[in-house]
Amino acid sequence: MLQYGTNVAAGVTPGKMGEKVEGVPVFDKVSQAVEKTGARSSIIFVPAAYFYSAVEEAVLAGVKLVVAITEHVPIRDELKMIDLAGKHGVTVVGPNTPGLIIPARKVKMGIMPAPSFRPGKIALFSRSGTLMYEIANQLSTNGFGQAVALGIGGDPINGTTMVEYFDWIRTRDDVDAVVAVGEIGGDSEERLAHYISDTKFSKPVFAYIAGRAAPKEKRMGHAGAIIYGNFGTAESKISAYRSAGVQVAMTPMEIPALVRKTLG
Amino acid sequence: MDWLSLDPVVRTRLSSAIFMPSAERVKCVRLLEYQGKELFKKYGIPVPNSQVVTDPAGIAAALKVVGLPAVIKAQVLAGGRGKAGGIAVVKSEQEAVRESMRIMGLRISGEKPNALLVEQASTHSGEMYLSITLDRSRRSFVLLATKAGGIEVESATGQTVEPIPITGLTRAAAESVASRLDLSGGSRDDFVKIAMDLERLLREEECELAEINPLAILSDGSLLALDSKVILDDNALFRHPEFSQLMPEDPLEGDAAKEGFAFVRLDGNIAVVGNGAGLVLSTLDLVADAGGKPACFLDLGGGSQQSRVEAALRLVKKLPNAQRILVNIFGGITRTTDVAAGLRNVVNEGPMQPVYARISGAEEEEAKKLLEGTSVKLYHTAPEAVTAVVNTG
Repeated sequence: MLQYGTNVAAGVTPGKMGEKVEGVPVFDKVSQAVEKTGARSSIIFVPAAYFYSAVEEAVLAGVKLVVAITEHVPIRDELKMIDLAGKHGVTVVGPNTPGLIIPARKVKMGIMPAPSFRPGKIALFSRSGTLMYEIANQLSTNGFGQAVALGIGGDPINGTTMVEYFDWIRTRDDVDAVVAVGEIGGDSEERLAHYISDTKFSKPVFAYIAGRAAPKEKRMGHAGAIIYGNFGTAESKISAYRSAGVQVAMTPMEIPALVRKTLG
Repeated sequence: MDWLSLDPVVRTRLSSAIFMPSAERVKCVRLLEYQGKELFKKYGIPVPNSQVVTDPAGIAAALKVVGLPAVIKAQVLAGGRGKAGGIAVVKSEQEAVRESMRIMGLRISGEKPNALLVEQASTHSGEMYLSITLDRSRRSFVLLATKAGGIEVESATGQTVEPIPITGLTRAAAESVASRLDLSGGSRDDFVKIAMDLERLLREEECELAEINPLAILSDGSLLALDSKVILDDNALFRHPEFSQLMPEDPLEGDAAKEGFAFVRLDGNIAVVGNGAGLVLSTLDLVADAGGKPACFLDLGGGSQQSRVEAALRLVKKLPNAQRILVNIFGGITRTTDVAAGLRNVVNEGPMQPVYARISGAEEEEAKKLLEGTSVKLYHTAPEAVTAVVNTG
């Protein structure tokens, strides 16, 4: 993050107060760091067992944006996090996300490989981390940089939803088009398709859904391994997207060509 | 779960919550019926008098406790147990012994019964459905109840959905559900108590799903949980060490779970290994589109060190149906040089299936150098690697 040029104001690790890492001061508590540096955002890397208390500490210290990298967070802790963040007007990206990157402003709050991302006017939102890198890389090498790229998080529930991210950029002049990377399971793509139709979202939207070949009637470990009817499957998501006017790529490699056809 | 008995709205909620394969949660811990019922008892939810036997020789002793007539039920995770002959009502000890031997010999959707649950048979006048599950869209747990549960799938009426706040289900909310279901008298009191106990169970034991289907209405109006389905939140198991013995029995899945890999066996011949659930899913799609058949889904997870890459390769090496291995890595927090070093070590250990790899991301040039002179076939892009692995052999 420092290497990329991000203004990392402080680190927080209990018991390391007063130390410096790469010139960045370390504090015992988030509240001390916020007070001394005026930081407004926090990125959380702590293990799942300590995740909720880290979020709580950041929220109560007055941070307004939390990027939660931690994976394997229990559902109950995620629900508590959503409840707390909602009460304090805090935006949480994740958990289980590689974070967010705004190339033009040299802001990288995350663990993504920076060379795959270039400044530009595409907003890239992804349910999958590595697919986000893959697709950003494809876009960048084809001349389509990103205004922002972020992982919404790979868990069944997310601090901020796909629809909320779309709402955030819908009137922004620095975004020309949106790429949404999804996967099977849940109904966030179907909901997004409704949002796009219902609110007459005006920017072109491109999408990719991973998991067309995931087996039906097969338990993928989860109880949800059995696909019933036509709901939550890749086909259902693709058809919901198409009826909302979203252009759907069949492979990650097709996205730049679709974008070029529309944006030129 | 009697899927067709639910109205489309409830079905949609349910499917979004639990029935969809989710790449992010490929392992889960689902309890057998009797394990779920032990939890029910702990939380005061009424269940029939029962005994667990693992050997038909123990049937006579179990019947002494349970009495006759009794129900003998195969303990399997697979659905469709009744249709597969895994449940029998018996009226004599002789019949019980014969049926238990028959059931223990069944394979239900490929699954051998772990044990038998011998239960007192109950006569009841009605059946309901009650469950609490995560609703992904609402981002909360919801209580779902229908007036018709069990086998009366065609006549379901009066479904009701109640979102549950983070603080838990209130008595007022449980009473409101009971009213919407038109319950009265003893049934109503029992329902309110069972709904609240079930919600407390789900919250304290940290489950993704707790379901009673059917919830029987007995002739005196009281309610009894005839079946249980409980799925634990695998991410919360660190707070519930008592469940640690419930890990998968398939040795490969057990190994994968120990390493923290997301691993799913599939029936093709190309093992697919990558970092990130989405990338691996997408790779499965590419393989299928090219006419190939994946032998497994294995997500290494983020930040994989060399040792994890080695463990993953050694695991898929043992997969009997994997004739070729496809590795697709896009390095982020995962260092491509770690992946390459791990790959090199495993292929140099001795003969194994051919490995086709695409390694991209930071330090990829050094990673490629590490693999020079090994049998690993390297490709620049994922489609190239997929084309090669599908069209060989």
